[in-house]
Amino acid sequence: MTFSLLHATDFADRLLYKIIPPLKAGMIVLADRYAFTAFARDVTRGVDRQWVRELYSFAVRPDLTLYFRVPIDVSVDRLLARRIKLKFYEAGMDMGWSTNLVDSFRLFQGKVLEEYDQLVREFNLEVIDAAGSITEQQRLVRHLIAQQVKTSNVETTDDEPVSA
Amino acid sequence: MNPLAPEGAPPQHGANGDIQGGRYYGRGIPYLPIHNYPGKLIAIEGTDGVGRSTQIQLLREWLEIKGYGVVETGWTRSPLMQPTIELAKASNTLNKLTFVLLYGTDFADRLEKEIIPALKAGFIVLSDRYIFTALARAGVRGVDRQWLRNLYGFAIAPHLVFYLNIDVKSLIGRVLASRGMDFWESGMDLKSGDDIYDSFRTYQGRLLKEYGSMADEFHFRVVDARRSVEKIQDELRKQVDAFLEPSERTSQT
Repeated sequence: MTFSLLHATDFADRLLYKIIPPLKAGMIVLADRYAFTAFARDVTRGVDRQWVRELYSFAVRPDLTLYFRVPIDVSVDRLLARRIKLKFYEAGMDMGWSTNLVDSFRLFQGKVLEEYDQLVREFNLEVIDAAGSITEQQRLVRHLIAQQVKTSNVETTDDEPVSA
Repeated sequence: MNPLAPEGAPPQHGANGDIQGGRYYGRGIPYLPIHNYPGKLIAIEGTDGVGRSTQIQLLREWLEIKGYGVVETGWTRSPLMQPTIELAKASNTLNKLTFVLLYGTDFADRLEKEIIPALKAGFIVLSDRYIFTALARAGVRGVDRQWLRNLYGFAIAPHLVFYLNIDVKSLIGRVLASRGMDFWESGMDLKSGDDIYDSFRTYQGRLLKEYGSMADEFHFRVVDARRSVEKIQDELRKQVDAFLEPSERTSQT
């Protein structure tokens, strides 16, 4: 619960200082993770599903949400290949499900992925197969974003004259 | 910009009459079932400078002499959050939303680490302020009331809520006679003016109205805080006694 609220506070701060002002200025904001991360992670930690959604109801609904889906085995392999140690909370060690870091990660993140699958349906997330090649993923990402930018008429700069 | 509000979310129960002391107001904390814990939660509410801590101190002594185990908890006293809250208040970067969420985080920490374990172990928990302070302060600052009530749906409804009621005029007298007016207690962040006295009067007036509007909703036991310390304490003890006595009898048979 505390974990969930602490993240929400951080999110609210970033939303009000870093996300909303550029949106008002007509800019494109790229968010690396969003409220959906909290929905998946907090519910896995035992927080009420509806409560956490209501908590984040102050968040701006993204125009486009891309979900990079990857099987848990691929995720574990990638992380272990480039990092020596998995992070304590990322591995859900606080849950006490396993004393082994890798086992705990697999269990915890496995459940997080299940939650994401539900979010895909609930919030119409665009799923991108993140097990595929980087080039393929990037092409799909560009295609989806190009479509979005075209339909939502993102404003280019307001050419207001500079007054003396 | 559309909000991320859940579509067709059912209206929340909790704050609508079916409140039961010792149970969660709303959705609660699913991984912490609290039903039938032996402890009792008593909240003392009231605005800044109304005399809460004096009353709590006296109440504690009296309860301990009677043989009860007593634990105290107070607003923003969580070891995890207190430094952060002080820092944020000092640095002027808070807005009403982060303000509310910081308080909420502090409360969640104290609920999980202090209040619930104490209730489980059979203590009487005396809470110096409770969620109503958060609801009143945020309400005055224009935060959505339903959102706030949903947020605090994880809070436990106290068995007793005493609300120390006072009028602005008497409050001003008390505060000036003791420690003077402070920036936050005067609502100077609301920028209603440069004069701390005027700001205090307006802000506290609005706070008192918010508290008052919650009295029925959350079953406050309203106590007239303009009387002497002893008179107020007498009334609190009588009411606490009357509440504890029946449960005392059942535990002895």
